Amino acid sequence: MKRAPLFAVTALVLATVTPSVAHHSSTMFDSKKTVTVEGVVTKWELTNPHSWLHVEVKGKDGKTVVWGFEAEGPSSLQRAGIKPSDFKVGTKLSITGNPMRDGQPAAIWVEATRTSDGKKFNPRAGFAVK
Amino acid sequence: MTCGKLITGVLGVIALAAGCSGPTEKAAPKPAASVLPEWTKEQKIDLGRQHKTAEALYNALKEQAKGGQKLAPDALPDWRGVYSRPPLNGFTFDPEQAQGSPTTAKLTPEFQAKLAKRVEDLKKGIEWDPISLCRPPGHPRWLTEPFTREFIVTPEQTWLINEMVNDIRRVYTDGRGHLPVEDRVPIPNGDSIGFWDGPRLIIHTNQLMPGIYQRANPDYTEQVETVEIWQKTDDKTLGVDVWVYDPPALTEAWYVRQTYGKLSDPDLRIRYWDCAESSNNSVFQNKEGTTEFKNLNFEKGKP
Repeated sequence: MKRAPLFAVTALVLATVTPSVAHHSSTMFDSKKTVTVEGVVTKWELTNPHSWLHVEVKGKDGKTVVWGFEAEGPSSLQRAGIKPSDFKVGTKLSITGNPMRDGQPAAIWVEATRTSDGKKFNPRAGFAVK
Repeated sequence: MTCGKLITGVLGVIALAAGCSGPTEKAAPKPAASVLPEWTKEQKIDLGRQHKTAEALYNALKEQAKGGQKLAPDALPDWRGVYSRPPLNGFTFDPEQAQGSPTTAKLTPEFQAKLAKRVEDLKKGIEWDPISLCRPPGHPRWLTEPFTREFIVTPEQTWLINEMVNDIRRVYTDGRGHLPVEDRVPIPNGDSIGFWDGPRLIIHTNQLMPGIYQRANPDYTEQVETVEIWQKTDDKTLGVDVWVYDPPALTEAWYVRQTYGKLSDPDLRIRYWDCAESSNNSVFQNKEGTTEFKNLNFEKGKP
């Protein structure tokens, strides 16, 4: 996938094997769109019912925005092969998600790529029974 | 147990005749054989139709199983491990209902209309789920949730555990009945009693609260009751046949089959579920009837 500019939203329907699972309605997010940003991890909340990865993103104008990417809880992340130590504060990454419809800088985490080693992380893989 | 001390004189002859020839482990007894027959899916649907209430179906199964058998502590079914429900066709209550197709439940007109409105609202982006406030899903929705599970079997009780909101269903198999009708108060997972028929656990649950089977699925009322037959179908799978009765909402018993697969990660543990750990997970129902985050707050990096 060609990377979109920072803050730009690309209209892209992703074929997902497993549905989004949340304690809240998923209608707050636009599952038909994705946004991809590059940034640095500032916090990794490993909590139920959802974990949140905080990512600080610097725009071309020098201003920064902190995005929140929502993922599943710690057990589901473990089932997806995502560990607490994978995203220490300061970790650089590129991350794609389904953005909120109201324009807030938050999204459902679809896939992240860690800059240091190119490893990909997909929380939704955590619902597979294997 | 070693039999060395027993093998003396006449006792030794008896012990040898019994096959006790050294320091060997006693073989674990096998669970009792099942009395209830195997049914086809059509026969299971018919069972639901033949019995007008969950209690009637449960009592008929118990009678057919001659009251069931008490589990021996050293012959428990092996339900160990961490399991989860596979996301077949999403998380709809009937896993055999194809995505986007109508429910397989036979609904009364009132509850058909309620379901139609829910689906119509969803198309408009309006959706609210009672679990958004961290309420327990409640049974029978409990069967559908996709998180990790454990099943703890003892002769007197079986615990059916779902990690989500630290949710435990206790099934009493010590011969007790339900609470007297006048003392029943609706609770999320209700009151479950059961009996064993060989490796099969048969459960009757009543005293439940109203809820929804899942999002974009029908509602159920506090009259809902279920009968379940749980059984390990192979080393990695637990299956359960479910009959749901709910006269205000269903015109006949709704039969579905759920399965739970054993997860292979040996380090996987059930984690405590505290819904208030992060304020970013706090939501509310807005004036339009849909869900909004209360106050998203993400942390800036330190300069």
